[in-house]
Amino acid sequence: MSAVVPSLPNLPVKVAIKNLSFFYGDTVALKKVSLPLYANSVTAFIGPSGCGKSTLLRVLNRMYDLYPRQRAEGEVLLDNVNILDPAQDLNALRSRVGMVFQKPTPFPMSIYDNIAFGIKLFERLPKSELDGRVEKALRGAALWNEVSGKLGASGLSLSGGQQQRLCIARTVAISPEVILLDEPCSALDPISTARVEELIDELKLQFTIVIVTHSMQQAARVSDRTAFMYLGELIEFDETKKVFTSPAKQQTQDYVTGRFG
Amino acid sequence: MAEHIVSAYNKELEVLGRKIAEMGGIAERMLSDAMDALSAVDVDLARSVIAMDIRLDILQREIEDSAILTIARRQPMALDLREIVAAIRVSGDLERVGDLAKNISARVLKIASEPRLPRAIIGLKHMNEIAATQLKDVLDAYAQRDVEKVQAVWKRDADLDALEDSVFRDLLTFMMEDPRNISFCAHLLFCSKNIERVGDHTTNIAETVFYLVTGESLPMDRPKGRVNGLKLDNEAPETTI
Amino acid sequence: MEPTKLSTLPGSREPSALQAARKRRSAIWLFFCCLATAFGLTWLVLILGSLFWNGFSGLSGDVFTQMTPPPGSAGGLLNAVYGSVVMTGLGVLVGTPIGILAGTYMAEYGRYARLTVVVRFINDILLSAPSIIIGLFVYEILVAPMGHFSGIAGAVALAFIVVPIVARTTEDMLLLVPNPLREAASAMGLPRAHVILKVAYKAARAGMITGVLLAVARVSGETAPLLFTALNNQFWSQDLNAPMASLPTVIFQFALSPYKEWQGLAWTGALIITLTVLTLSITARVLGATRISK
Repeated sequence: MSAVVPSLPNLPVKVAIKNLSFFYGDTVALKKVSLPLYANSVTAFIGPSGCGKSTLLRVLNRMYDLYPRQRAEGEVLLDNVNILDPAQDLNALRSRVGMVFQKPTPFPMSIYDNIAFGIKLFERLPKSELDGRVEKALRGAALWNEVSGKLGASGLSLSGGQQQRLCIARTVAISPEVILLDEPCSALDPISTARVEELIDELKLQFTIVIVTHSMQQAARVSDRTAFMYLGELIEFDETKKVFTSPAKQQTQDYVTGRFG
Repeated sequence: MAEHIVSAYNKELEVLGRKIAEMGGIAERMLSDAMDALSAVDVDLARSVIAMDIRLDILQREIEDSAILTIARRQPMALDLREIVAAIRVSGDLERVGDLAKNISARVLKIASEPRLPRAIIGLKHMNEIAATQLKDVLDAYAQRDVEKVQAVWKRDADLDALEDSVFRDLLTFMMEDPRNISFCAHLLFCSKNIERVGDHTTNIAETVFYLVTGESLPMDRPKGRVNGLKLDNEAPETTI
Repeated sequence: MEPTKLSTLPGSREPSALQAARKRRSAIWLFFCCLATAFGLTWLVLILGSLFWNGFSGLSGDVFTQMTPPPGSAGGLLNAVYGSVVMTGLGVLVGTPIGILAGTYMAEYGRYARLTVVVRFINDILLSAPSIIIGLFVYEILVAPMGHFSGIAGAVALAFIVVPIVARTTEDMLLLVPNPLREAASAMGLPRAHVILKVAYKAARAGMITGVLLAVARVSGETAPLLFTALNNQFWSQDLNAPMASLPTVIFQFALSPYKEWQGLAWTGALIITLTVLTLSITARVLGATRISK
């Protein structure tokens, strides 16, 4: 049985989270969390609401910096450089660590501009080359066939699933190294969800992917490794197949089998 | 272990467990009745064993159906997933045990006209006792999720293999003594093979229970009781019979 | 088990005396609400009715081509309309950028800052301050030092009214822009200024324009601040450094006069302002509605 299924290949650690604690004002949201995120693989964070999984995700691109009274302690090493360093250039960091959100957030502009917008921010390209990049990104997000005829239409005119793939395309377009997905399918129908999951499978060939999800089935389907968190602590981190077939910790078992609380 | 948040889920798993227990009871009964029918050449008893198999088949199908439905409905994870997979496999093994007991009973009907019970029948009965104990133990271990008991059952199957070898030798001698014994003894050979296979299914169940409880597999190679036993030069690999 | 009697189930009760009383009270309450509404609407209809009745009769080409006449003779309102347009335009032109920037600070950069609370509080006071106080203030800082009334002082006074309105609507509209949109833009590595200019403003555009239109509507009807600043001018004047006519002040002056022609022109002027404000308000509403339906 489990002995026969080959183990995951040894991949380099892209992001090393070490003793990370996080505070919302005086409230502790993460308690000394340590775990590695491997390159070219999908890591899923699961756990009940308020367990700190989204918080952990938002530390990885320092999204929390937008808000006052939120701070992180410990280290997050991206290619061995601590991104929690106050001297870290946030815009440079976020161009390397892209993020897709729970609700699709197309910008109030055309489909084309939604993608070209980000590219233009970091590179100056002639129009023809920009067109090529936009097409490539849309193809990468499996959206090209659906929108190639209406690139000028508003991004808001697309369906929810298409909007979410547009957001993924937008993120992919600026060639990040890590992609953070914060419950990317929670607002989507099953077909759109399947499309996004298929996409995640393809994207991991190029990127390091982290996904926060409330759907354990989704975590089991798309991820290589799973971290189960509870009350701000990392309870268990292991290969996904292990976590969902024979987790080591009772709390993990109770959560994945629906016995929690 | 805490209850599921969805209580219907608990009930589904309970029903599954109850049906496995019922199957186990029937399979044990069939096995011992088949042996009794054989040693006493009791045709009526043999017929009742054959009739019991129908109930076993129905139960197995019911377990499979509800297990599949639970998978589709609840997407079981971790222990639940292992439990359902185990139920499917154990029910399959028990159904096979029933088939083997039925096969022994069918042979009783065939040999009833000219019974020539050799002394090897004692070895056969002994084999059956061991197989029945093993089956009972493994079903208890399944019910109690007892890993140590499971490992004991798993190791003890070697005894059965060794015993089969000696029964084989006895029957062979008996056949050589008088060619009229051959047809009868051939049937008994098949019976011993059937009992040995019951032992194999028992070890399968043991392996399943081990996985169910620990999430890990027992090693691929099991201790064999036949290393010093009879080894005919032209004996085909054991799977062919 | 005995079968449950139907009558013991909730919902199948006979309508009780309690419910009947409740229904009666509800009817009485509804009656008074309608009465109050009718009372308010009646006066509105009467005001609009008399305005149209009296204003339309004086409406002619002359109103927009002739200057305000001396007492006893016919004329138009050209200099007053011109003055109103110029001072309103200037006031909005000056006030809008300041209002938008202030609103942007409150909603974006300073959302969690103490200063924002203070600014918002002061802004709200300014928003509800009697406009005559603003007129007095501008008189104090501009008219008195300069020694004379001027169109520029009028425009400045109007700008003071525009700023809090635009600041408030800008802040409100930017706060309505969903935070995930801002986060999404930031997550792409956009600097804060880009996030605001390229994403937040785009999402809030319709609402912000509505705010400006509402400000225009508000100041185009203001009389009090102009009385102390631009005063009035009987003649055609394009000089911003001199007193300037405006519709509200002309209406104020003419309506109080004993002369029939002046009173007629005051009605017409009032109608013009009302129609302008009505048009702007409706436009603002329509723009606002399209924003919500998106």
